[in-house]
Amino acid sequence: MAGSSEPQPEALRPAMAAPALLSVLLALLAVAVTILLWRLVQGRRSRRRAVLLLGLCDAGKTLLFARLLTGRYRDTQTSITESSALYRVSKDKSANVTLIDLPGHESLRLHFLERFKAAARAIVFVVDSVAFQREVKDVAEFLYQVLVDGTVLKNAPALLIACNKQDVTMAKSSKLIQQQLEKELNTLRVTRSAAPSSLDGSATGGPAQLGKKGKDFDFSQLPMKVEFVECSARGSKGEDGDADCEALEKWLAKIA
Amino acid sequence: MLDFFTIFSKGGLVLWCFQGVRGPVATAPVNALIRSVLLQERGGNNSFNHEALTLKYKLDNQFELVFVVGFQKILTLTYVDKLIDDVHKEFRDKYRNEFQQKGTLGLLNGTFDFKEDFMRLLRDAEESSKARAPTVMKTFEQSQKSQKTVKCMIETRGEKPKEKVKNKKNKGSKKEGMEAVTAASKASTGDRQPSAAGDREELTKDEILQKNREEFFKRHMKAGEKSRSPKPEAQKEKGKKPRVWDLGNSNAKVLDYSNSATNGSVEACPVEEFDPDLALGGRNREPGRLYDLEYESDEEIEEKVIQNPSKPSAKKGGLGGMFGMLKGLVGSKSLTREDMDPILEKMKDHLIAKNVAAEIAVQLCESVAKKLEGRVMGTFTTVTSTVKQALQEALVQILQPQRRVDVLRDVMDAQRHRRPYVVTFCGVNGVGKSTNLAKISFWLIENGFSVLIAACDTFRAGAVEQLRTHTRRLNALHPPESHGGRTMVQLYEKGYGKDAAGIAMEAISYARNQGFDVVLVDTAGRMQDNAPLMTALAKLIAVNAPDLVLFVGEALVGNEAVDQLGLLFSRLNKSNSLSLSS
Repeated sequence: MAGSSEPQPEALRPAMAAPALLSVLLALLAVAVTILLWRLVQGRRSRRRAVLLLGLCDAGKTLLFARLLTGRYRDTQTSITESSALYRVSKDKSANVTLIDLPGHESLRLHFLERFKAAARAIVFVVDSVAFQREVKDVAEFLYQVLVDGTVLKNAPALLIACNKQDVTMAKSSKLIQQQLEKELNTLRVTRSAAPSSLDGSATGGPAQLGKKGKDFDFSQLPMKVEFVECSARGSKGEDGDADCEALEKWLAKIA
Repeated sequence: MLDFFTIFSKGGLVLWCFQGVRGPVATAPVNALIRSVLLQERGGNNSFNHEALTLKYKLDNQFELVFVVGFQKILTLTYVDKLIDDVHKEFRDKYRNEFQQKGTLGLLNGTFDFKEDFMRLLRDAEESSKARAPTVMKTFEQSQKSQKTVKCMIETRGEKPKEKVKNKKNKGSKKEGMEAVTAASKASTGDRQPSAAGDREELTKDEILQKNREEFFKRHMKAGEKSRSPKPEAQKEKGKKPRVWDLGNSNAKVLDYSNSATNGSVEACPVEEFDPDLALGGRNREPGRLYDLEYESDEEIEEKVIQNPSKPSAKKGGLGGMFGMLKGLVGSKSLTREDMDPILEKMKDHLIAKNVAAEIAVQLCESVAKKLEGRVMGTFTTVTSTVKQALQEALVQILQPQRRVDVLRDVMDAQRHRRPYVVTFCGVNGVGKSTNLAKISFWLIENGFSVLIAACDTFRAGAVEQLRTHTRRLNALHPPESHGGRTMVQLYEKGYGKDAAGIAMEAISYARNQGFDVVLVDTAGRMQDNAPLMTALAKLIAVNAPDLVLFVGEALVGNEAVDQLGLLFSRLNKSNSLSLSS
């Protein structure tokens, strides 16, 4: 009697388990497919298509932005918000990137960098070649902050350092600027890591180490491609002439 | 009259510029305006002075534009505000399409040919300001004084004092004055008036005096008579009446309070019984313990007050309200001042409750309101969230350091130039200058720099000994042997009562000779409103020109800190144009 009732539930169990198991498997499959699709869609949406224009105040970012997009000279003031526009890289290729011009003022620059760094495919760091000697420490500090940022290190966008204002006779060459920046960043590695930590626990470029330990800092030690380019947004012929930024445009075409 | 008028986008592109009078180029003053007002959230009042120019500006938050007008500070142009508003409206309406559809490329490519419209608006504004004729002075006939008679202005004894008698020798206007008087005086009683009017012309000072004297005597003869001069009734009472007191009719006994409660008198107040327990709160009191006074919190009252103005708005039709809310959530709704005001009030109160200075909180909220007015909200964002985010961004922006703060880097720089890096500590009494000095010198030693501590606190008892103890401890932690034989910390002191600035100067030259990397100067604590001490501090800083001046403040002090910093900054700026990082 007990034996007869037992095999019944046993026979029933696999019979019951089969549809239940099937439905469970089906549900899991559906979830997996959804996740896959979602990842794909998100990946497509968040494909990094932005080129950021960074730099100190008065470096010439907004004018460069205007020149690249329209080719004409515009008067500019200190930017308070970002400007972004679609930039067609060259006439024949249909590739285009979004040029984003970020404000360079000290109180705004980090905030805007936070907003746009995830979407950056490339970064153009504009340097004022004329005032470089005076501002080298500030330039290096901002560059350091950009380079040790976690997102930037992970994505490793291509970096171009554009030495602007070459039309002025006192402008430093890009070779000199590169050497000076390497020296400054070398020193900054030591001082910034030794800086006292703030009370709220946020590490100012704490654990991230720039370049290789033990050796002097070199731009080739970075995980991203770094290039130096000379350009002049104003152009050697003044306001009516063209800007001297062919090298910049070629580089943009390369990375698009 | 205007020096310039610029219209530019918040992204930095100048859309249109008008260069008026042969003035300086517009970029530098406008940059100064942007950096000191807009970026530091001082956007409460919309005018700004830069050297010789006054700049007025207006923000358009919907299309992200800024309108700036500049004119000479000495001119007071009344039409500027109206001009900005008109230009704003016209420009926005004219180029609305470019802004809405094409975005940034529209701004870049568009030509904004606004000159004729602007000249027209400028002409209209100038004319409207000229149209109001300058106020003409009233003639004597139009004034009220001419309508008063002489008699009413004569002071007679016992009456209320009136204006003194004027010398009525206005030759030109006498006749008209008389007519006006005869026409206007209402209480003309009888024959006095024409005689007075007729006599007016011949009245001289002596005659007026004589008349006064006659009247005076007459009055004393006729005691009790009321005044008989033809005054307008409205001006005078009917003479003096005896004053009546409330208890005046009671007898003297009731008015006698002399034998009521005196010290020690048993039958004290005839009024209520004095119940000590009830008066002190009626709780089980421990003898000898001070209890806080219980008071009704003002918050309830304030809530009621705040709720009342918001109630009528809530009652504005239930169904319409719901649709309005839905419309607000989805789609484009532009922010108005009324939407933002209650939220900003709450934010302001919250800031003040968290010890932000009151005027700063008010200014900050004003600036945020100006930045948000007219902005179109995105979908699914409420007004509260937009305002909150804007306020948060504004606060983060203000709190970002405006200059590079990297002491180690600067010390290395100074090392290369073979001079010591000088840091001065200042602050009010007891905030922790000496303690922080010790901590910072420990940090510097850990990083391999040698430190000289200058004891310029020559006032407080034990200040030098305190620093000496710190020095000894630090040297024990980092003995000279482990740093190549040089002492990492040394104290430079000259005892008490000497001049702090002199000691600092000597300490710096000693450090230079001995090759110390950093000099940390400790000063005495001083209150910010103590003028001689503030001058002494300013002298110390002016004479020694330190590389860094650190103000040490207490976090618990609240609004006082603003006062301390403000006064200190202004004192230091007054004596020498030092620009400290504010």
